[in-house]
Amino acid sequence: MPKLTIDGKEVEVAPGTRVIEAAKKLGIDVPYYCYHPGLSVAGNCRMCLVEIEKMPKLQIACHMTAADGMVVKTNTEKVLKTRQHVLEFLLINHPVDCPVCDQAGECWLQDYYMKHGLYNSRLEEYKNKKPKAVSLGPTVMLDAERCILCSRCVRFCDEIPKTSELGFIERGDHTEIAVSPGKNLDNKYSGCTVDICPVGALTDKDFRFKIRVWYLREGNSICNGCSRGCNIQVHYNIDRPHHGRERVKRLKPRYNEHVNKWWMCDEGRYGYKFHDINRLSEPVKRTKESVTPVTWDESLAEAALKIQGSAGKTGVFVSPQLSNEELYLVKKLFQDSLKAKVILVSPNAEGYQDDILIRADKNPNSKGAQAMGFNYEKDAAEKFIDECDAGKAEGIVIFGQDLLSRLNPAKVQSALSKLKWSLFIGTNQNLTSETVSLVLPSATHVEKDGTFTNFEGIIQKFDKVLEPAALARPEWLIMADLARHLGVHWTYEGPEDVFNEMALTNTVFAGLTYEKLKAVGEDIRTMAAPTIPALQQFDEIL
Amino acid sequence: MNVDKTQLITKIFTPELRKNADALLAKYETKRASILMVLRLLQDHYGFLNQEAQDAVACYLDLPEIDVREVMTFYTLFYDKPRAKTEFHVCRTLTCSMMGSDAVVRCLEEKLGVKEGEITADGQFMFEQVECLGACEIAPMLQVNEGEYVGNLTREIMGQLLEDSKQGKLEALKLAKKTPLEK
Amino acid sequence: MEKLISKYFIPGKTFWLADYEKDGGYQAARTVFESRTREAVIEEVKKSNLRGLGGAGFPTGMKWSFVPQNTGKPVYLVVNADEGEPGTFKDKYILVHAPHLLLEGIIIAAFANNVHKAFVYIRGEYALAAEVMEKAIEEARAKGYVGEKCFGKDYELEVVVHRGAGAYICGEETGLLESLEGKRAYPRLKPPFPAVVGLFASPTVINNVETLACIPYILNRGAEWYAKLGSDKNGGMRLLCVSGHVKKPGIYELPLGIKLRDVIFEHAGGIINDRKLKAVVPGGLSAAILTADEIDVGMDFDQLRALNTMAGSGGVIVMDETTSMVEALLVTMRFYAHESCGQCSPCREGTGWVYKILNRVVAGEGRKEDIDKLLDICSFLGGTTICALADGAAMPLRSYPTKFRAEFEDYIAQKKSNPYIRSRLFHHASSTKRGGEREYVELGDRLSSLSP
Repeated sequence: MPKLTIDGKEVEVAPGTRVIEAAKKLGIDVPYYCYHPGLSVAGNCRMCLVEIEKMPKLQIACHMTAADGMVVKTNTEKVLKTRQHVLEFLLINHPVDCPVCDQAGECWLQDYYMKHGLYNSRLEEYKNKKPKAVSLGPTVMLDAERCILCSRCVRFCDEIPKTSELGFIERGDHTEIAVSPGKNLDNKYSGCTVDICPVGALTDKDFRFKIRVWYLREGNSICNGCSRGCNIQVHYNIDRPHHGRERVKRLKPRYNEHVNKWWMCDEGRYGYKFHDINRLSEPVKRTKESVTPVTWDESLAEAALKIQGSAGKTGVFVSPQLSNEELYLVKKLFQDSLKAKVILVSPNAEGYQDDILIRADKNPNSKGAQAMGFNYEKDAAEKFIDECDAGKAEGIVIFGQDLLSRLNPAKVQSALSKLKWSLFIGTNQNLTSETVSLVLPSATHVEKDGTFTNFEGIIQKFDKVLEPAALARPEWLIMADLARHLGVHWTYEGPEDVFNEMALTNTVFAGLTYEKLKAVGEDIRTMAAPTIPALQQFDEIL
Repeated sequence: MNVDKTQLITKIFTPELRKNADALLAKYETKRASILMVLRLLQDHYGFLNQEAQDAVACYLDLPEIDVREVMTFYTLFYDKPRAKTEFHVCRTLTCSMMGSDAVVRCLEEKLGVKEGEITADGQFMFEQVECLGACEIAPMLQVNEGEYVGNLTREIMGQLLEDSKQGKLEALKLAKKTPLEK
Repeated sequence: MEKLISKYFIPGKTFWLADYEKDGGYQAARTVFESRTREAVIEEVKKSNLRGLGGAGFPTGMKWSFVPQNTGKPVYLVVNADEGEPGTFKDKYILVHAPHLLLEGIIIAAFANNVHKAFVYIRGEYALAAEVMEKAIEEARAKGYVGEKCFGKDYELEVVVHRGAGAYICGEETGLLESLEGKRAYPRLKPPFPAVVGLFASPTVINNVETLACIPYILNRGAEWYAKLGSDKNGGMRLLCVSGHVKKPGIYELPLGIKLRDVIFEHAGGIINDRKLKAVVPGGLSAAILTADEIDVGMDFDQLRALNTMAGSGGVIVMDETTSMVEALLVTMRFYAHESCGQCSPCREGTGWVYKILNRVVAGEGRKEDIDKLLDICSFLGGTTICALADGAAMPLRSYPTKFRAEFEDYIAQKKSNPYIRSRLFHHASSTKRGGEREYVELGDRLSSLSP
């Protein structure tokens, strides 16, 4: 294992490690643009030039392999002056777009200028003109003037989705990024190019001009789009309602070596609107004559009454969108205590799958459901609906699935009308929530703590980032209250208590705690550009 | 998809072109490596390479379309717009510049009535300034139709050259382009 | 003095195979195949002190000895006939007049390095040279000198002519390899070096045309003889390309180490109209300029290096007192800005920036501070990039304003200008704006137009 010295500190690394990673190991920041640990080495930005003893010229740390006995210096005057000049070169043709550029606040040119530049501009020449606001495809906008030609996006499209839509055209300082005329940047991971673009050249159409990044707060979560469970960050705004009622503004991936590396798919990335649009806002009671909002106490009491009354004749459609904790409580309450029939029903049909990230199972916790003993049984849902239709069941609890869309609508409609009661616990409005007799609004997964188990069995924690919208409540709380109304008293104060109990009783969760699970999933910005801080939270409203 | 590809290739690659392209392809270890020669083959035939031709090359060589455009726009001798029947490339690098390439340019502007990069109204002539052509011993000089080097230029020689082209005598000197422009 | 290569440069004549063999051609190759070993050939070339004549001056024998033969991959030979360095035109003559001399050199070099496929990368503008080379290869194939059984031995050698398409950066070794592989000619990060990982990821030898043309002589007459023709550690002769303000511009085959003064005044006839010499570019555009006081230097790689310039490609550009050094620098930097491939930031942005500054100076709008600004930019243009194009730009950029400072200051102070030598940097850039044309705003458009 080669041992090298960087800025006087010794470090031992695996053979083949680049100097830039060795420096990271020591906590030494070497700035860079074109380097990305998940892509091939390009070595074209020249920002990471460092001094290596016995070599007359400065060498790029991203390409140089650490050798035993190597002595590296990253902060001599020569290195610092060179860095400053490389930055100056990069800014020569860069348009001063900051006031209108989305990247401001998380722009590597801005950040490195403050840390490594701080020179007075001596540019007196005109800047090269290139196309601005070019739509590259459904998700990405290009501003060719802002591009520093680091080639990260080109390498990404070549190496990860392997669709090669992007390339360089022209030569010299007239070089630009482009797609072939008539073609689009429309692979399923196109949003990742915006993540990795260090400047405002590639911007997200979905996020364009929405809000300034320094007004965003962030929290950690897991994507619920499929069973991969990509680690994500939720960027939201609640302090400044004049920037729009929708709280969640965008999602970004978090680095996880075992799950999604640095990437996430477009469907997951742009599938956040449901947290703020079409939400069920308050408990609602529905009869043939009227639809009336009710208080939580009323609705819970009513629900408990109905459930008790239909003991043994209740069906529960449990969802693989629920967290492990909630699935555990469903088992505890509905299956074990109430002896209801629990059927696992996915709210989504199976879909596209590839060998990169996307899984056909569009739910985050099918594996978690399995661990609780809930398995997909072919036609189980249809059979139960038939039983309801035949009058063999009295009540049904639906955890968010839109049965009227997923199953035969005529049969479901008929079944629902024949049941004595139907309880819908879910986050968003759908056809079913508008048909059942009692609706309880629940929290989306960014509004509660919990864990999902991905398709490989990896258990991951998602955090409570936002308060539940309107009067919604997390499912675990709803079930705890229901239990109380049914005479079963639990002492859980939060999902963590539930999880700790699961850790004791279920071998799958043995030895795990929220603390341990929290440690995984790094911020791609601190990984990908060491001197860029994560978004700074501003608590005072300006 | 595949049907489109084959159709496009057949449309752009005439049987003769296809034969020659296949022969070129056989000389290289990868399909991609033959791209410069294949593009040149097509450009010599068509005079320039429009988007369709570029896409056909991409299909023929199994490359992403953008890769063909990347190569085309990098090199100065590939054109994606129509050119003139006779082109003059005037060298403008150090020795030629010292020996009066600017005077050659002014002479051409005067005689042809167009500026650099523009085609004369009758589509016959255009001129461009290029970097060193490796003929500094005959500076100032120009290249005609990527063929002959004409050097030690004077007003007289320039005049004669233009006369010869107008009268079609460049054909005899084998300086004419291989095919007239179409498309 | 016996002329080895330039004796073939008879106007209008190509030495086809019959003529070449009548002159003793292919004897060296035949002997090599008959009775020499690879190692012996490499030793001979090492002893001859032959240096790479394309520009870098790297000892050829040493370069060949770096090639690993045990990788399981084929070894390639690539002949660098891109000849893009301004001031240089010798390879053109070799290709057109003595293609078989080159071919024999290729064959011997191939044998020495266990190469069975060679590519001759000829710059796109040299259409005639490519045609001649193709014909010469066919002649050699007909005679069995290339092809399946070279010289009757169980040795296959394929030689392919590949034409470039107009980019100076294809003269850079790894840029050439990228171009040959069908991509944009972006030079590669080194290490690994081409000798180990080159064409198609296989070991590759890259040699200049003239370097290979010397090989038959070395094998025929011996390394010692060849080394003695030149100077210490710089063996043999070279084809100096003299151009500019001399009475007899052209190719002069002279020993390595000959004094620059002799080249200009004895061989090239002195300055036109007997004017005064002002400056000389000794080794292609990328070489730092020499003043009239510095021409007593011997023209070899080591002596010129000692003067902080280089022997480079052997392009000698002679400037007399009528030359404006400021305008010459503009033309020089315009070349680099036009030819920069654009891969790495210091070269891409730096050459463009320097060109714009000089364009402004030559438009009569220069400022006093511009000179020091140029020199400062120069310090970070060189030594920070992937390939040596930026270093090649930095050398003239540093030497012109340093050695002719007063002239630069005067030009700026007097607001001198020359609208006639300014022209657009790129003139056929295509549009990427979907559905629309886009204008490049360049200095020439905004300020005075280029009127006659």
